[in-house]
Amino acid sequence: MVKSAQRIVAHEPGAQALGLFLDQKLGDARALIPTLDVQPAEPHADMALLGQIARWCDRYTPMVGLSGTDGVMLDVSGCAHLFGGEAALVARLRAQLTGQGFTARLGLADTIGAAWGLARFGEAPVAPPGDPAPLMPLPLEALRLDPALVTSLRRLGLKTIGCLAPLPRAPLTTRFGADLLRRLDQALGRGEETLSPLLPPADLTAEKAFFDPITHADDIERSIALLAHALIPMLEQRDQGARALELRLFRVDGAVQSLDVEAANPLRDPARISALFRQRIVGLAVDIDAGFGFDLVKLAVIRSEVFPGNQGDLVSGVENADRYEALIDRLGARLGPERVRGFVGADTHIPERSFGTVPVTRLAAGTAISPVGAARVPPVTRPLWLLRRPEPVDTLAEVPDGPPQRFRWRKVGYVATRTEGPERIACEWWRDGRAAPTRDYFRVEAREGYRFWMFRHGLYAREAGVPRWYLHGVFA
Amino acid sequence: MHPRAASILDRLSPHAHRAGKAAARLPLGLAALDTSLEGGLTIAALHEVRAPAARDIGAAAGLLFGLVIRLMAQTGRDRLLWVTDPAAGMDAGLLYPDGLAQYGLDPARVTLVTPVDLQTALWATDEAARCPDLAAVVLHVQGNPKRLDRVATRRLMLRAQTGGAMVLILRQSGGEEATAAHTRWRVEACPSAPDRIFPAGIGLPRMVLTLERCRTGRTGAWPVIWNPKHKVFEHGQTEPHIDPQISVDRPAASAHRPDRADPLGGVMDLRRTPGRRAPVGAGADGQECTADRGP
Repeated sequence: MVKSAQRIVAHEPGAQALGLFLDQKLGDARALIPTLDVQPAEPHADMALLGQIARWCDRYTPMVGLSGTDGVMLDVSGCAHLFGGEAALVARLRAQLTGQGFTARLGLADTIGAAWGLARFGEAPVAPPGDPAPLMPLPLEALRLDPALVTSLRRLGLKTIGCLAPLPRAPLTTRFGADLLRRLDQALGRGEETLSPLLPPADLTAEKAFFDPITHADDIERSIALLAHALIPMLEQRDQGARALELRLFRVDGAVQSLDVEAANPLRDPARISALFRQRIVGLAVDIDAGFGFDLVKLAVIRSEVFPGNQGDLVSGVENADRYEALIDRLGARLGPERVRGFVGADTHIPERSFGTVPVTRLAAGTAISPVGAARVPPVTRPLWLLRRPEPVDTLAEVPDGPPQRFRWRKVGYVATRTEGPERIACEWWRDGRAAPTRDYFRVEAREGYRFWMFRHGLYAREAGVPRWYLHGVFA
Repeated sequence: MHPRAASILDRLSPHAHRAGKAAARLPLGLAALDTSLEGGLTIAALHEVRAPAARDIGAAAGLLFGLVIRLMAQTGRDRLLWVTDPAAGMDAGLLYPDGLAQYGLDPARVTLVTPVDLQTALWATDEAARCPDLAAVVLHVQGNPKRLDRVATRRLMLRAQTGGAMVLILRQSGGEEATAAHTRWRVEACPSAPDRIFPAGIGLPRMVLTLERCRTGRTGAWPVIWNPKHKVFEHGQTEPHIDPQISVDRPAASAHRPDRADPLGGVMDLRRTPGRRAPVGAGADGQECTADRGP
């Protein structure tokens, strides 16, 4: 529903001849052509498809961004010669998009603004570098202006960019606002505009195109090994190793699949890189759908670090593939890096907030949790197990601040024979608010020998509500 | 023989390998236990620690971490990989790094693996058992899952023998089950030893270890104390040692019914698990730790 009516948002190329136009009410259109085939608009599906096309365009350049809701913007600086020049690139892109069943309008120019206008309103797709002439005959809509502004300019007889460009700037700004000249400058290359890429551009990439699309898993593995070999000299040149890699498989029909792996330490060994991807493929819930085959395979280094250069260990005879870091990589590749974790500490006294876990691959050196004073051995005051959340227990305890005497946890009754406490942990008022209750922790030993960590949540009389008891941990 | 040829031979024949590495054992530091184990736990092997009920998980983890800490000190390998079956993680909760540190283990040396199911957990354990940097791999499971059967444990056992890391199964609220593990320990909580300085408080953690099954040595039950300060196990009572045979929980024959029924189970069964005791909470006098009683 647009402006309280169902309206046409897109139509077939020849529909204008029948009297249909955009933003027309569906009722009017139906009155013209009773047999009109109407499909409801699906903006989300359209955006998803556009995203897919954008990812597919990654085969031309790593800098691909979305342009509004109906376009894809490619930064092909320095890439065009790989495809035989700009005209050849555009022709090839058009042929491949047409082959996938899309109708595309293409434009290639010096600036983002010019390319935008050229693609939507231009006749020839490629503008020669440094020459704004092809832009001049385009209508003002090609400048990405507000429709109301275009209408008012048109009333003054300014119909093309060519009319607007030689006019004095100051009166235009006073009359129509800064936006008009900003857009004009962006189109003519006098103003800055940046492309925000959909995917972060990789540090290094290696790719391999196939004349015959590959389908077999063996072929994919072999190409991964080949690409890894190709990456090594570049990494060596930079004295770096790869921490995160991404593999992108471009299917003939335009679908792109990507797999990523992370490593616990910088990698430069092609065998280990291919082994990681092998594990990753085995661990996939759904197999790679090769369809009619992949015609381009791209291996990119997403994150790299300085290579320490001590991977080989000839003395101990322990192979690299057996080391702890290699194990972490294998586990992470198969299970997913977020399932292999290490502890990190946090600066708080609330037990459940005082620690967390992060994937080991993102655990930078020095951020690991520090042991509590290695030299000074503290008395045991913290349990080995912390329950996922404190479990409420029915407790008999002396009011107001006595230790628990009898309690019932998970349907079993216990009699406390020895207790230690309380250890008071105040609430964090800056996070939970001033009304959050205080916790008084007790170590409790039951008659059977079980040792629990319990707390009274709140203080009698001094804090609101009746305090409740919780069991929070189990000691050895 | 050329060292490389020897290593290939070792890899080909696990039996020869086992004979070569049979010396590597982890003594627990308690004469009685180490005698029963013929010198200690075999390091390159699979061992099982069982907590009969969910609330025993604290004591079971207590034994487990004690073993790992001693293992790290002995072998110089300083990493622990903890693989949790998703079914087990819900009941026990999370390992608490502060608690680990106070128990004597640096939490930074612990790597947690949380696979999606037991199959991948087994794969991860299997993969980790090969790693020469790990002191131990712990597989934490809940109950007696079907997938963790004799074949799966045998596989873990072989991996441990070739890899050299100790593989430990922590079975939470599970029953006895025949596996390929070298030893199976049942661990139950026990009232702590009184603290000398603060007698009213809670002392060092004490637990009763029952060696339910042992491939090479005898079985038995011992109360032990873990001392986090010196990182050693200590005897759980002042008496030097009670022979496990005597510490068997035998109900006294009453005077008027001398011919009472034998307890369920054969004689063999009793001898294999001499430390079996009455279920917790059954004793009217409140003294559950039978092993505490003198002869």
